[in-house]
Amino acid sequence: MIVDSLTFAGDGLIAALDEAGIERAIVCPPRARGHGYDVENAQANALAAERPDRLVAFARVDPLAPGAASHVEQARGIFLHPWEDAFRITDPAVDAIVDGLPVIVATGYPFVSEALQVAELARRHPETPFVATNGAQINISGLGQEDAFLALEACPNLFVQTSGVYREDFLEGVVERFGAERLLYASAFPQFDPRLELLRVRWAPKLGDEAQAAILGGNATRLLLAGTGPG
Amino acid sequence: MIIDAHLHVDDIPALGWKLAAADCVRRLDEAGIERGVVMTIADAPEVNPQALELIADACAAFPGRLEAFARIHPWYGDESLALLERAIGELGFKGLKLHPVTTIAHPAGADTLRLIRAAAAHSAPTLFHCGDEPLTTPFAIARAAEACPEATIILGHMGGYFHVEDAIDAAERHPNLVLETSAMPYPAKIRAAVERLGPDRVLYASDGPACSPRIEVEKVRLAGLDADAERLVLGENAARLLAAVR
Repeated sequence: MIVDSLTFAGDGLIAALDEAGIERAIVCPPRARGHGYDVENAQANALAAERPDRLVAFARVDPLAPGAASHVEQARGIFLHPWEDAFRITDPAVDAIVDGLPVIVATGYPFVSEALQVAELARRHPETPFVATNGAQINISGLGQEDAFLALEACPNLFVQTSGVYREDFLEGVVERFGAERLLYASAFPQFDPRLELLRVRWAPKLGDEAQAAILGGNATRLLLAGTGPG
Repeated sequence: MIIDAHLHVDDIPALGWKLAAADCVRRLDEAGIERGVVMTIADAPEVNPQALELIADACAAFPGRLEAFARIHPWYGDESLALLERAIGELGFKGLKLHPVTTIAHPAGADTLRLIRAAAAHSAPTLFHCGDEPLTTPFAIARAAEACPEATIILGHMGGYFHVEDAIDAAERHPNLVLETSAMPYPAKIRAAVERLGPDRVLYASDGPACSPRIEVEKVRLAGLDADAERLVLGENAARLLAAVR
């Protein structure tokens, strides 16, 4: 089973999953504009409630907003986007909402969610699984790879997604050095195109069938979907 | 015919990157690509005084498969210029590659412009790393395009993750800018670039062999271009640029 470990609520999501042959997905709210996350979280929850066989909603939280903790109460998991919501991932307000639920962090953004900043958060909360988007880096020179490896080495509770990672040797390096269980397929649809993002895993020549199955779905099922839906 | 306009040959122990010419050719073969353009990661004359020879040897080992771009550090004045002249004039290189993250040389700085103009005197293009880092953004490189209207300047990665719209905007304003698709993760932006700039100003490349040329070709196909445009992007545009060098 293929699980997309990060998508955003909106039109065309189910159709995009169908086209790419993806059975299930974590769905998160897109950025709220002009109001807090009550509206977006309700919309993502409603979308997931319509298709419980396909979607599981994670709560998006702006840790600096009033009432942030209330978004976490009923959540299956948390999504944080320090760049879009303008906070540092190492801010104490983040510590206040991390409580053991899995946390997906939009990672690789300068100043606010660099790989080693996310590693610092993961170090403070060793019982909480953290999933870093974009291979924990966003750099088209490949200059973010070393910090991403250091972060994975330092924090066994840190996992990385494949979304937008153009360097095949990085994805293979994560598997070789830390095991396939540390890598999760994600498209971040609609940010990236699931048809292309799947190829990063499927066409990586050094990843065997077992590793591919873990990356494409097994890891997300274990880490993010435990106790939900038909999985 | 497919041409991959951006591949690397080098050996950088400090980064653990070992990128052999044979790896490039193997990956081109996997993807059904006839020719590739190779360049180093390190610059000549520093930190690798032998960077030109490394690339010349790579091309000689695979005749007809690999073309060469010279990666040169602009800070070395006349020495940089002499290296470029030797590369294009004697060794048959087809272009100049500049990566301002490794050189800390602004794309529109005087030393850099001198090299771009020298390449252009041979009708050879300059390929810039064009991503999200300072010194490499589309509008910084556009200043060089403005200063050297006679030069063809290729925006490698066409703006990276967050500067793709800027790259298309810059190319709309400067007709001597060409966009190159490697690593940039959005198939839909390739289509947008072709629609706004025309199909003759977008080039396929992979940034291989550490990136997959086969996936990067598929990315262009996912852009859904018409057959004529796709042929231009995947190979004919690069063939035209390479053939013009003298």
